[in-house]
Amino acid sequence: MYQNNSEGQTSDEAMLVQRAIGHDTEAFGRLYDMHVDRVYRHIYYRVGNEADAEDLTQQVFLNAWQAIGRYKKMASPFIAWLMTISHNLVVDFYRAKKDKAYLEAEALADDSSLSPERATEASFEQQSLRRAILQLGGDEQQVVILRFMEGFEFAEIASVLKKKEGNVRVILHRALVKLRNTLEKERKQS
Amino acid sequence: MKKFEDILVQCIEDIKAGRSSIEDCLDRYPSMREQLEPLLRIALEIREPPDVKPSPYFKVKARVWLMDQIHERQPVTKWPWFRCSNWTKQIALRRRFSMASIILVIVLALSALGGGAAYAAQDSLPGDALYPVKLGTEQMRMMLPGNDIVKAERALSFAERRVEEMQTLAEKGRLQDLGLGVEGYDDALNMTLARIERAGDRGLATGNITARVAETTTKHLSVLDAVYDMVPDEAKAAIGHARNVSEKGYFHAMAALAKNNTVRAAEMNLAAMEGRLNRISIRARVGDAEGVEIALQQFEAMGESGEEISRIARETGINITSVEELMARATFGHLQVLAEAYDKVPEQAKPAIERTMANLMIRHQERVQALAQMGVEAPPPPVIPERIREQERIREQQMEGIPGGTTPPTPGVPGGVSHQYGPSTT
Repeated sequence: MYQNNSEGQTSDEAMLVQRAIGHDTEAFGRLYDMHVDRVYRHIYYRVGNEADAEDLTQQVFLNAWQAIGRYKKMASPFIAWLMTISHNLVVDFYRAKKDKAYLEAEALADDSSLSPERATEASFEQQSLRRAILQLGGDEQQVVILRFMEGFEFAEIASVLKKKEGNVRVILHRALVKLRNTLEKERKQS
Repeated sequence: MKKFEDILVQCIEDIKAGRSSIEDCLDRYPSMREQLEPLLRIALEIREPPDVKPSPYFKVKARVWLMDQIHERQPVTKWPWFRCSNWTKQIALRRRFSMASIILVIVLALSALGGGAAYAAQDSLPGDALYPVKLGTEQMRMMLPGNDIVKAERALSFAERRVEEMQTLAEKGRLQDLGLGVEGYDDALNMTLARIERAGDRGLATGNITARVAETTTKHLSVLDAVYDMVPDEAKAAIGHARNVSEKGYFHAMAALAKNNTVRAAEMNLAAMEGRLNRISIRARVGDAEGVEIALQQFEAMGESGEEISRIARETGINITSVEELMARATFGHLQVLAEAYDKVPEQAKPAIERTMANLMIRHQERVQALAQMGVEAPPPPVIPERIREQERIREQQMEGIPGGTTPPTPGVPGGVSHQYGPSTT
């Protein structure tokens, strides 16, 4: 299942962003309402537990408010900018913990349309994949997540990472090679 | 010639969009087949993350926190030093005032427009479609101007609402929504306590609001007792948790109040202890041993709180006689109630009452001695139930037979306490 989650910025949202840049707290509150679920989901995927996901999510929005003046000149959607802040906070979070927490098995994708055997197998594969994704380096991890999980366009990712689109494709290629190597290694070990 | 990464990305996009299959793509680029295939398969395995959603309470709580922080921290501008000038400070103040006015207008508009969502939502309960609107309105009220004491009062009123909601849910048999109510109650009380703490840090007088919290949570405990008795077994854990939240709020408030006004704290604590004694009597009358034991534990914990108040009074030397006198006289009444309950409770609850009475008597004796040292006339000695006095006699006999006078631990009454009992009366 693949869909482009980045549907651009609606005019309502653009207006709210403009008002928030002008220090309008109510507009910023509405932006929070619009995006909190998605930011939380993104962070939860990466930290794997509710308490840390909650702490980091609220911090994302506070950081966004404090730096909203810097968003002005970015071509990326507001949510992509929030994802970048989320990414940086998650990186700091792991750096502080010097450890990697992985998602509990029950929180992983559960496709109820599969047979129980296939569902278990699929869940196992998803766990391995998730672990491998979380072992990728900063930009690689972000490109994989933003493109395949959050559905951003390459142009938007390029804008967030302040890189050229061609470079983003190269990063994605590198990331997929690393994922393949990690997964192969894991399969051999098991 | 196209670069490999462009081909890879093109293939992924085409396959995900359903324009081609893996095989089509590999056939298009046979020379790259070996390299392409594993990468395509991995890319196609990566799915959207599970649709995990934050809890509605987190969303509301985080929004309140965020708005709080935002009102204190204006965004960082390009020229931070510029913001420091008086001129910009005035602008910022005006902006804040204007924001508060906007919120006020929104809240008033929402409330005044009869039939509107906000109005309709006021009677909603956890689990109702309009309930988030109710919480949103409360959140807006928290953002209205006011110092930390005012905001603590608002948050406390929300905690009261949560208790009323739990009561209504229980009456309607909507047990599945009770958990949400408990969570909301916990949040509202925590918000209240956090505001009080901040008010204290900022030098505001917190005596009245802490007294209100202690009084309100005592009331909540009584309401929740009634709800606990009303709900079936499967919902008792949720209400039990809500009672723990009440107790936590109570003790927190009591600890703060004791630092401000020991006499008031002692009076309120004794009133709360009487509430627990009532509960003990009621549960004893219906033969509910478990209910008696829970209420006894709460009573004991409040007794500990009383000791803490007494310790603070001794340390500060303020009102020490009044506090000790109040507590000594109340102990007399407490023992009488416990003695009456003792006769009615099922056998299995008797040891718990014996322990509580023994502890009370130790404290009473110590208090009487302390008052005597201060030259204050001691209150009359407490009534000791026959069964406890009987155990007392048995223990004394045992002590006489044991070299060194060590009191053996006896079920029901902690060892080594008997020699401290005061003269018993019938």
